[in-house]
Amino acid sequence: MKFLGNLDMMHLMERSLRRAAIPYALSEGFNPHIKLSMGTVLPVGLWGENEYFDLELSQRMDIIDFRQKLSVALPSCLQLGECQEINDSAPSLMKIINAASYVFLLEPPFPSLDKWKEELLARPSLTVRSRGKKKGLDKELRTGIYRIEVEQSLNFGRVEIWVAVGEPVNVRYDELGELLLQTGFTQKSIAEVFRSGNYIREGSSYLSPLEVRLDKHTSPCGHSGVPPCGVTIKVGGMRVNK
Amino acid sequence: MKDQLFRDILSRVAKPARYTGSELNMIKKDWEQAGVKMAFAFPDVYEVGMSHVGGKILYGLVNEKSRHLLERVFAPWPDMEAIMRAEQIPLFSLESFRPVLDFEVLGFSLQYELSITNVLNMLDLAGIPLWSRERNEAHPLVIAGGPVVFNPEPFADFFDIFIIGDGEEVLLEFLDKVETSRGLEKVEKLKRLAAIEGVYAPALYNVEYREDGILKSFEPRFAEVPARVRKRVVKDLDQAYYPDKPLVPYMEITHDRAVLEVMRGCQRGCRFCHAGIVYRPVRERSLETLESQARHQLQNTGYEEISLASLSSLDYSGIDPLLKGLVGNYGEKGIGVSLPSLRVDAFSIDLANEVQKVRKTTLTLAPEAGTQRLRDIINKNVSEEQLLDAVEAAFKSGWLSLKLYFMIGLPGEREEDLEGIIEILQKVKYIGDKYSRRPVEIRASLASFVPKAHTPFQWRPQNTMAELDSKQQFLSRRRRKRIKLSFHDRRTSYLEGVIARGDRRLAPVIYLAWQKGCKFDGWSEYFNFDNWQDAFRESEVEPEFYTGRQRPYEESFPWDFIDIGVSKEFLQEEDQKAEEGLTTADCRQEGCSDCGICLAMEVSLNIKGGNVDALEKQI
Ligand code: SF4
Repeated sequence: MKFLGNLDMMHLMERSLRRAAIPYALSEGFNPHIKLSMGTVLPVGLWGENEYFDLELSQRMDIIDFRQKLSVALPSCLQLGECQEINDSAPSLMKIINAASYVFLLEPPFPSLDKWKEELLARPSLTVRSRGKKKGLDKELRTGIYRIEVEQSLNFGRVEIWVAVGEPVNVRYDELGELLLQTGFTQKSIAEVFRSGNYIREGSSYLSPLEVRLDKHTSPCGHSGVPPCGVTIKVGGMRVNK
Repeated sequence: MKDQLFRDILSRVAKPARYTGSELNMIKKDWEQAGVKMAFAFPDVYEVGMSHVGGKILYGLVNEKSRHLLERVFAPWPDMEAIMRAEQIPLFSLESFRPVLDFEVLGFSLQYELSITNVLNMLDLAGIPLWSRERNEAHPLVIAGGPVVFNPEPFADFFDIFIIGDGEEVLLEFLDKVETSRGLEKVEKLKRLAAIEGVYAPALYNVEYREDGILKSFEPRFAEVPARVRKRVVKDLDQAYYPDKPLVPYMEITHDRAVLEVMRGCQRGCRFCHAGIVYRPVRERSLETLESQARHQLQNTGYEEISLASLSSLDYSGIDPLLKGLVGNYGEKGIGVSLPSLRVDAFSIDLANEVQKVRKTTLTLAPEAGTQRLRDIINKNVSEEQLLDAVEAAFKSGWLSLKLYFMIGLPGEREEDLEGIIEILQKVKYIGDKYSRRPVEIRASLASFVPKAHTPFQWRPQNTMAELDSKQQFLSRRRRKRIKLSFHDRRTSYLEGVIARGDRRLAPVIYLAWQKGCKFDGWSEYFNFDNWQDAFRESEVEPEFYTGRQRPYEESFPWDFIDIGVSKEFLQEEDQKAEEGLTTADCRQEGCSDCGICLAMEVSLNIKGGNVDALEKQI
């Protein structure tokens, strides 16, 4: 699943919803499509542990029933995490997700991770060549790097970096990769990269889209008895089975 | 190998999902428990190969209905090929990631003449000797099927076996026999297999040519080997296997949708059409079968579109109730129906409107020739009036763009026929501008006619590249505003023509062309005509011999031994009628025209619906 493009991922989800016979809502117009939207785009070459989708239903559905039907229909490379009802006034995932975390799994040789982390965070400026819109230009990442956790044993290392999505600077996973290469890692030592989460960052806490919307936006739509009702779906890809 | 692939290799290639396998509904059988292990190879890239219905049928058939195993292999795109060669990764299957060399049978699907260079390239990537005579009992048995093998001779030296006709009718029987012939010497094995109807083993025949290059004799080397090979035919499509759980790829492929094969064969009798002759007679699936297949496929795939596939789907006798049922059952869920081929009449447009209520993008019609005289010659029984009626109906109901298919270089073609194409296009555009508020877009696709084996035009010469060139220029000069003309590459048509009526002497040419780097010849970015020309020169084969001659009726053809059921006499009569400008009626509506197949093969037209309404509406 890490090799799927964004559009392929959407197709996969839509086809799973059809197989599961979920009463999805369709858009009006020339080319009706399922009202499904992805939180943030998962780049080709990455798999994600916690990815979110919003789906609009044409009729309310019991959430346990929903979960059951959809998880049977999903291909084995995807696992359904939680599902949660939201009402239609909930802001879109795309609007509220403002942080993400990426994990780099490392194989020796690589530098001492604690020391590396300390030095990196102490630096006032971290520039890489931009991989995004302003391709090739220098890009300052420092304000977008929020937090780093490391874990190290004899023959294994793990670096997890929490970064900004959108504002103040949109940090891409391949730019983080370059940062690693600039600061003492080799391409060979990076065994695997994946996105471990998408968050709504408030102060120093990182909330999942499910938590946030549970607090603020859930007034179960069933009460009014009128569709549309929405569901947020969390899915995670799996590491390639070796 | 899988490990290396996923970790180091796939991130370096374009569209890695071509090589990852594990698609939805993939069947991975236990290797140890399985009977014969067969790799099914499609000599083109994943997106093209995965779109092919025949492959889906055989995949499900072997894996679901027998103890044998069938796994998929596609041609790696050149970027992947380069890495595979550099890292010494052999060609592998997508189910178990095993080298192709581990399989007992390697079966290629040949849909297009020029895909042969990809076949050789894949054999080479697999580490399998390219020439059949260099392979022994320990190598996989290399076989092929598909429309191209109705003249297998140009490829005879590369394959051990060809399977002629409907694959699902014979493959299981074939694999059973492969299993019981294990341990036999290769030639003995081939003899046993060749006893199955529809199985042709070229090494069991001697071929001689006369001094002037024409076939002198074609004879079996052993008494027990049949002199002629008869194609296999599914008599009743309702009884034939069709997959309810087709594979659903993760990446977008060329035809990414559920497919209903409503019928096989076509009875219209267009004289240029290879498929129309070799897949006779028409056999339909019943409405009930199709409805159930649609339901299962959609349930098991989640596809957003279902398409009706066949040579001429709107001739299906139950087309009206079928379409109404599909639209009624699935339209609300956002599932669309698509009709890839439309007949040229207003009735077809009405049906197309019914299924495509909203998305009126491009409509495609195929008048094939520019004047009535030439359409009579090729037996395309469509009048200009019908065409213009269809066009009017289309524009009236809101279509904005129209695509028309024509052929140039047809037998008997004159300048007025080319003028005729332009005139038709202008009339079409005029009608469009009259009914549409926006300026309409007219596109014409102009293919070059290639005479094919087993068709009424198999005796005819093919236009030279220079002739085609001047015809293309003639048309381009007369082109009008907002009418777009696109021509097929005349060099590919020429090569197709050489191979389509070729013989065993072409093998060295093909081999040389591959050695010089030819592959993906169907892809304009890779097609290299110079290499082919060099290959002809160096192997001293004169391509004009195959394309340029008007062949006399008494000539024996290299493909005559393939018994397609339709008689050579019928083909000759059709050719003579073409010469006189006489047409032959559709045998489904106007009675049998004695092509011979129904009698010879104890088959019959299998028309399920008996839907008189639809028949009567046909013009
Ligand atoms: S034998 Fe007659 S009915 Fe049968 S396919 Fe040929 S022309 Fe049609």
